[in-house]
Amino acid sequence: MTEESQLNGYRQVNATPGSLIRAEGLYRKYKNIAAVDGITFNVEPGETYGLLGPNGAGKTTTMRMLSGLTPVDSGTLTVAGIDVVQDSRSVRAIMGVVTQHDGLDTGLTVYQNLFLYGFLIGLSKSCAAKRTDEVLEFFNLRDRSKANVYELSGGMKRRLAIARSLMGSPTVIVLDEPSTGLDPQSRNRVWEELAILKDSGVTVLLSTHYMEEAATLCDRLSIMDQGKILDEGTPDQMILKHAPKEVAQVRVAPGSLRRVRDYLHKHEISFREVGALISVTGAEGVAPDLSELDEVDGVRTSYRVGNLEDVFLTLTGRELRDG
Amino acid sequence: MTYLSNEIFNIRRRSITGIWLRHALAFVRYWKFVMTWVLVEPVIVLVAVGFGIGKLVNAVDGADSYAEFVTPGLIMGSAMFHALFETSWNAYNRIENDVYETALTAPITVVEVTLGDVLWAVTRSIMTTIGVASVAVAFGWLDGWLAFGILIPAAMVGVLFGTMGFLFSAIAPHTTFLTIVFTLIATPLYFFSGSFFPLSTLPDWVEPIAWLMPLTPGVHIARGFALGHLDITHLWAAVYMIGLTIVMWPLVIYLLKRRLVK
Repeated sequence: MTEESQLNGYRQVNATPGSLIRAEGLYRKYKNIAAVDGITFNVEPGETYGLLGPNGAGKTTTMRMLSGLTPVDSGTLTVAGIDVVQDSRSVRAIMGVVTQHDGLDTGLTVYQNLFLYGFLIGLSKSCAAKRTDEVLEFFNLRDRSKANVYELSGGMKRRLAIARSLMGSPTVIVLDEPSTGLDPQSRNRVWEELAILKDSGVTVLLSTHYMEEAATLCDRLSIMDQGKILDEGTPDQMILKHAPKEVAQVRVAPGSLRRVRDYLHKHEISFREVGALISVTGAEGVAPDLSELDEVDGVRTSYRVGNLEDVFLTLTGRELRDG
Repeated sequence: MTYLSNEIFNIRRRSITGIWLRHALAFVRYWKFVMTWVLVEPVIVLVAVGFGIGKLVNAVDGADSYAEFVTPGLIMGSAMFHALFETSWNAYNRIENDVYETALTAPITVVEVTLGDVLWAVTRSIMTTIGVASVAVAFGWLDGWLAFGILIPAAMVGVLFGTMGFLFSAIAPHTTFLTIVFTLIATPLYFFSGSFFPLSTLPDWVEPIAWLMPLTPGVHIARGFALGHLDITHLWAAVYMIGLTIVMWPLVIYLLKRRLVK
């Protein structure tokens, strides 16, 4: 993507002190279960902040509370100093929202989806038309502008939903799982576009259960599980703090699984099985020497550095992707 | 009543026109199909009843012919169907396809969404009224300047049934549930609101019930305009329709909020 494709027209965040998004003791329950259980976090102007956690961690509920789609039971939640509970309308006027299921209007064309949202926000017809052209250009959707929404691929739909959230030139955008369900190419494209938006000064809050997404996009992130934030920091800090330095990954053919297990038990090496993969972390966070296993048929051993997936494992004892 | 307090006194006009524009844009895209219902279907009924049954039936209740008697009733029936369909079936689909959810991420409230939808329901009622009335005028079944007044009960029917439709879309678990909008509401009202026969022909104990049916006052007012004689009963009918609408409104907002903001 070239420099010209920068999307302009953002309300630049003034150097007002304090966080752009501030949640304190935020709480929401459904029936008797706390979906969001007293979380506290701040998003600073210009930063991309992630809520990383499995399905059911409370990420979507947090996102919905921000946009007024879910009531706040207790705690405080402000955007640019505006209280979400007291004045949700003013919050939505400066915040772009991408909901989990895109929420595109199948009764309208691509162009109309954008134009109408601009009109709903309060842009004049000419401003809405101008802005629609700008975002179509930025997201490379101009040649699809007359298409029906249901003719678009999943990646295009997601990018259109992101485009729509930018119609009001928002100070901050909130994205609920921006790349869930997308193929790798589309995902990379969404990431690239989000990175450019960040460069133009937009503050981003996103939720995700992909550790690659969190690691690629986020300046800081929170690890969420069962309605709580377990820890917060930059991806590097989190990895340094909670993940082993090195993890050995042993790919095992089903026929050799028993021999590998026996070997590890015999040498008192603790391990985890995830699908057809055995992960081994030794003492001090360094993987043990497993070269003897190479002689077993159908076994391949590789080593990788610790990542956010391991952070989640350390903090919860469970895999991120298992949910 | 906290669910109403802020929103009802703080209405932003752009939200309502924006929602209305959304429906207008969607309508324009599919107008050929929708027009069959706005115009073709009610005109078929009008022609069948006016020419067909009209041959067998003598003039009733102050009308010169049966066709003249039945025309305002059929127009109101069509106005009812359109308004009711808009906020039951169509609104249900908008709930399910997150159209409202997206709208609510803009600076828009649930009250404004419903107002925009009801405004569109009224638009549809008026469209079908103008369409069918024009055909009736061509056949000579509707005449006089007073006939333009039919637009007033048409709009009131649009507001009333546009509001009522939400009672169903807001609680419907699936589209099959919405079948009852037609089987239990629209079809009985279509036939028992004085459209096809004067309510005085009903058994004595049924007649007062028929007068309380929500479409009856609309038909009564429309017929007053069509036949050119209006009296105080038409005013009471209008008050009754407005009263029914006002009573339903808070319930609609409560149910929709429960469905959309959760």
